[in-house]
Formats: sequence, structure tokens, C-alpha cells
Amino acid sequence: MYVYDQFDHAMVTARNAEFKDQVERRLKGELSEDQFKPLRLMNGLYLQLHAYMLRIAVPYGVLSSRQMRTFAHIARTYDRDFGHFTTRQNIQFNWIKLADTPQILEDLAAVEMHAIQTSGNCIRNTTTDQFAGAAKDEIDDPRPWAELIRQWSTFHPEFTFLPRKFKIAITGATRDRAAIRVHDIGLQLTDKGFDVYVGGGMGRTPHLGHLIKSGLSGEKLLSYLEAALRVYNRYGRRDNIYKARIKILVSALGPQEYARQVEEEWATLDQAQIDAPHAEIARIKSFFPQPAYADKAFDAAALDRTKAADAGFARWVRNNTLAHRRDDHVSVTISLKPTGLPPGDASSAQMDVMADAADRFAYGELRVSHEQNIILPHVAKADLYDLYRLLDQNGLSSANVGKITDMIACPGLDYCSLANARSIPLAQDISQRFADAELTDKIGDLQIKISGCINACGHHHVGHIGILGVDKQGEEFYQILLGGRADEQAALGVITGKGLSAEAVPAALERLIKLYLELRTDETERFIDTVGRLGRDAFAGALHEPA
Amino acid sequence: MKLLTANRLTDGLVLWYAGGPDLSGWTEDAALATRLEDEAAAALLEEWKARETEVVAPYLVPLVDENTLVKREYVREHVRANGPTAGQTAFDTARQHQRGEVF
Amino acid sequence: MSQLNSSHAPQLVSDQGEVRANGWTLLADDEAIGVDQAVLSFARAVNELDGLNGRYGVRIAPGDDVRLLTPFLSKIALIEVAFPGYRDGRGYSTARIVRQDLGFDGEIRAVGDVLRDQLFWMMRCGFDSFLLKDADPAGAIAYARSLYKTAYQSAADGLKPVWALRHPA
Repeated sequence: MYVYDQFDHAMVTARNAEFKDQVERRLKGELSEDQFKPLRLMNGLYLQLHAYMLRIAVPYGVLSSRQMRTFAHIARTYDRDFGHFTTRQNIQFNWIKLADTPQILEDLAAVEMHAIQTSGNCIRNTTTDQFAGAAKDEIDDPRPWAELIRQWSTFHPEFTFLPRKFKIAITGATRDRAAIRVHDIGLQLTDKGFDVYVGGGMGRTPHLGHLIKSGLSGEKLLSYLEAALRVYNRYGRRDNIYKARIKILVSALGPQEYARQVEEEWATLDQAQIDAPHAEIARIKSFFPQPAYADKAFDAAALDRTKAADAGFARWVRNNTLAHRRDDHVSVTISLKPTGLPPGDASSAQMDVMADAADRFAYGELRVSHEQNIILPHVAKADLYDLYRLLDQNGLSSANVGKITDMIACPGLDYCSLANARSIPLAQDISQRFADAELTDKIGDLQIKISGCINACGHHHVGHIGILGVDKQGEEFYQILLGGRADEQAALGVITGKGLSAEAVPAALERLIKLYLELRTDETERFIDTVGRLGRDAFAGALHEPA
Repeated sequence: MKLLTANRLTDGLVLWYAGGPDLSGWTEDAALATRLEDEAAAALLEEWKARETEVVAPYLVPLVDENTLVKREYVREHVRANGPTAGQTAFDTARQHQRGEVF
Repeated sequence: MSQLNSSHAPQLVSDQGEVRANGWTLLADDEAIGVDQAVLSFARAVNELDGLNGRYGVRIAPGDDVRLLTPFLSKIALIEVAFPGYRDGRGYSTARIVRQDLGFDGEIRAVGDVLRDQLFWMMRCGFDSFLLKDADPAGAIAYARSLYKTAYQSAADGLKPVWALRHPA
């Protein structure tokens, strides 16, 4: 993974000194809350319902075991012993004291981490495929490009007060696991360079991104992005917070006209001053080699025997591992979706276990996925059973990746001051309702995504089943969306049926799933495919109790 | 009838106004919050809005009666007064004050 | 309690930290140009500069397309970029376009809601003077200049991007 040099260190050290000074000025009263708020947000510090929340950047979701241990330390020392992994591949701590934040940021800097630009109307953490560098279907590794963007966008002087936040995602594989079509800018690496999608997003008015450029050379990526951001900064709406994202500008101008303006602006830029030269791209790429793979003798027959003897292990291998570019390795997903607990949460002890697992079995590397799970990207097949047992002893062996209980859920009204309804209790109820492993496997691939308000942090628009919490005169109601997907065939779900109370949702999903199991052609037809074949209306009736 | 609530500047924790001229008059336990008449509540809110080095984002929580929140505010204020309803810190706030749920 | 820094009356300060008197006057659109160092509104500048002699200041509001001033740059000595609120970041693009695309070498001044925590970004985008709301304008400039010695990206100031320092030519 990327290693800081003196310049990277100096940048974070300077920012931490600046923020420490700002915190002191705030405590003394030289800064008002109104003035301090954007400054603390630029360092990931929110004031939520119960306390301050600190969001720490995990650049493009890549994490070392040492960094994971630092999260465990922060959870133990400054928080209530747990942390929450987010859909931005970041981590949030929910009970942070303002006066502690300078010290926390210092602890993070010691392991080359920070909370810079994890909030505010600036360019946020670039997200990518959690299996980058490992997946069999990869065309090119997106991580060096994400790092290039991280550096370019950090403290970009022109783009620190954009109309609204700005999110970039990159994928380098044929399967899109980074949801690039629902990002402000989505980048698809091809063998001819980048395809650039602009104007995707969720929130109040969801849009899928439009392809505005094909075959953009990587060496011109930064100047093109600079032009794209400048057009947005100048012409994006600032009069209405709900219309300020780039999707609204692109939709108002039309993608072609927006693309034309970007080209025009691009031509005015001194590109040679903006684009990092080949040598710098090569330097960054050199930090992302393949690991020094251990040649461990792997006996397929022995693995089969172990699976036959331990059904739990067999199921975990089936659901939680993905084909690796090397036949003797796999990528392992550690599900943070155990039955009845908040999606994406991990205790400090679990963080330490995951760090140990990475050191023992995965070359010290971990990833955070936007599905709020932790990935060990490179695991020798010979080590799978030892790894499984370590995880199993620590409540980390849920074998439900990609299944109905592998839900995305935002923190919702239990923590978030923007939410209209709770998400976590509903996710817990659903996971209990579908706790039966056999049933879950029979249902197959199914993504439920839950947001506690229209801001869509829980990605409800692109869940196969999306759930949106709304407030109706003081009562929580949940609208069900069907047919969304975030992959290379991205589609937006559509609200189906009437809003349901929290109590009614699990039973409604049960009826919906029962109907799907009756209607599917066979077990290879996934829920999303059956909905696609028959239409949402075929399922609307099942959501409501028969009269 | 209303409650005055805010978050403490230094640690962000939820506070409830319980009488007195300074920050020590505020409590972390919603059960002990002073039930204020509307006019007094409005005046206190104005006073504390200006005291930004002590509390952040003060506002008034309307009550139907001494122990009943207005329905519109119910979930949010119930969660603030008792802690999250789910997860590692479920009803943490209530437990810390060794009491059951209020409101 | 200390006093809010932003509650101070704005003072003009250069990017070198010199506090100066402001000799420029913003004119209303119907006001005759009777003074030296007159600042015109953007609309008036676009409509009238062609027929005027001398050198003027122009006040740019966030939505104005500063490239419309291209034909008249030789008659402009000062560009004032207005920040009605510090969260409105259009002025940063304006300054970079004026400095880097149009090649303007006169004074670019930030006016309006200009606070010490924004100075670093403003200097990087080409601003070289500020009507700054701060108790200690010179100290604020010194502080902003002291924070970051390098930058990841090139902009309108002299800082070389870090990649250029990593790979000296």
C-alpha cells in the first residue's frame, strides 16, 4: 500500500496543527459555532444526536493491520469501545470529545491516517473496488489512480467550498463493485484509459451518471477532473441545498453541453502544471505491487474433506470468498452483519482480531467495502480453515456475504441528527427474521439497503430491495423500493406499495421473498432478475397484508 | 411546557437545563430536566444561545405534560434522552443514570 | 470571553502582511465617475470600459463570468472578488481564471466575508490583498503563510506541486 514520504507527513502534520489551533480558538470563543462548523467538518468532526462523531478516512478502503489496531485503540481510549464502518469505506466513531480530537488526529498521523475532507463541501474520499489488485476480473488496478486523486484533491484551494460534497469512485474490473454510476464522477478503467461518468448520485433526486468521455489517458486524468470540477464550482446551484449536487447541473445543462463546457475549460488549463508526470504515476504505482505470495502447498482434496466435516466452514467458503487472480489464493470477506447487531459495527477486540488475521493470513492488508464489511484481499487457500476458526472464535464468521442479511444500513435516527427514522433496529429485526442459514442460502443473492432519510447514505435507491425511512407526523414509516442495483447494470429502484410501519416490514419482506421463491424459474434466477422479468407490480401486492 | 436542551461544547454530550445561572446547573440526565413554562423557556433559550463557549445548538423540546413528549418529536427526543435504541450502546444514557427510559 | 475574530471591522492587508489604507471606492451604477481609483460593478465595466480612459477597479460577484472582461484588461488595475458568505467558493475559480487563464497581473482582492481560515486557499488561487475581518490582519497573514510549506497541486501561487519536488527536472 501507499507509504507516506516527508511531503505527505508534512501535509498531515500541518493540518493537525491548524485544526488544533482552531479547536483552541473555538473553546476560547474566538470562533463562533457558525464559523467553526465548516472547519471541524473539513476534519470529519460532526455534532450528532448524542455527541461528536469523528469520521476517519480510509483512502479507497485500503487499510494495514497497524492502522486497524489504531482504530481499536481509538475505540478503547476515546470512544465506547466500538466503531462503525461506513458506505464510504471509512470508519466513524460516535462518542468523541471535541477536546480529545487533536490527540486522536495525532495518533492517526502516526500511522499515516487522517480525517481530512471526510465531510464538508469538498472532494471526499475516493472509493473503489474492495477487491482491487486481487480480483480475477480486473483489467487494471484502480488504487494508484485513487491515490493520485487523493493527493490532487487534498487541500485543493479552488475546490474547498464547492456547492455541495463531491464523491468520486473508480473501478478497474469488468464487474462494477464500486457503484460508479451513482457517484458525482465515476471512473471505469478500460484498456484504452478512463471512461468518465458524471452526474450520478442518490439523495432526494437520484440519477445515474452519464458517460461524457471515453478513453481519457491516465496522464491527463487530473487536469480533466480539474476542468470538470471548475465547471461545477462555477455553475452548480447554490440557492437550494437539495439542488446543489452536480447531478442537477448535468441534468439541467444536458450531459453533452456539460461535456462541451468541460472540454472548453480543459483547453484553457495549463495541463502540464496540473497533471503529474509519468515518473510520479510510476512512483505511486510502485507502492501497489502484488504481495510476496507464500507458496503454501494447497491440497484441494483436503479442503473438501474439511468442508465435508464442518458445514459452517463449507458455507463460509461458499459465501464469503471470491476468486483470486492466483488459483491458490482467494479474497475473504469478513461479514460485519452478524444476526441482530448493527451493520458495519466492530468492537475494539474484533478490530484487533481482524488485524491479527491480516498479519497471520493476509500479508497484513485489509480493505473496507462500501457494503460495510472487511476484506482480506489475499488469503492462501491452505490457510482458510485456520483463518475461519480464528474469526469464528470472535464472532466474525457470519457466512452471509451478498445474502439477504448482508444489509447496508446508515446509522439512522439512533445517532444521526439528519435522520427522519431509525435504520439499525429495522436491520436487526430483518436479520433475525432471516437468521436461518438454509433459508438465506436458498434465497440467494439479494441486497437490502436501508436509509433513515432521503439523503440516502444507506444507498436505498440501488438496493435490490431498498428501504427508506420517513417521518409521518411523528411516526416512523418505511417505503419499499424494488429493482435497484449498483453494479455494471446500475438501475434505480422504484417505490412500490404504501409505506409500512417498522413492525410490518419484516413480515412484508417475508411475503415478498415467499412470492419470489414461487415465481423464480429456478434457483439460478436471482431476486433482482425475477423482478426484472416480471416487473415490480407483480410483487407490490405481497408487501401488504392480505385484507 | 418545554425542556431546554443542548450539547456541551467540550464533549458534545446531551445536556438538559435544570436551573441555575451557569453550566453546572445543566444535567446529563433528562429525567432531572426542569419543566419550563413557555415564556421562561423562550427567555432562557435566548440567553443560552449566546453562551457558545458552554453549550452548542440549544433548542426547546415541547411537552404535552410533564412526562410526555409531543408526538412529532417523540423518536428523536426519546433517543436523545435514553441513548440509541439499538446496538452496543442501546439505552446507554438511561443505564448510566441508573434509571429506566424516560418519556 | 474573547472577542470573535470576525467581529472586527475589515482592514485591508496584502499577501505580504502589510496593512494599508484602502484608496478605492465602489461606485453605484448611476454614480458619475468623479474619483480616482473608482471600482465599477461588473455589468458597468462590461458595458462602459470600452469607452473609458484610465484604469479602474471592477467588483466581481460570484455569478459573474469574469472572462467577459478579457477585452478590457489593460484598463483594469484592481479586481475585487466578492464573497457574500465564506461558504460560496465561486470566487476561488474566478481568481484562478483571472490570474492563470487571462494572465492578469494587477491586484486581485478578496472582499466580503473574508476570514483568516480562508486566507491560505485564497493566496493559492491568486489573491494578493484582502479586506480581512480580523483583530490582527498581519498576524493572520503570517499564520496562513506559516502553515503549509508545500502543496499537492499547482495553483496560481508560486508553490510547486509536491510531484515536482519529488521529481526535480
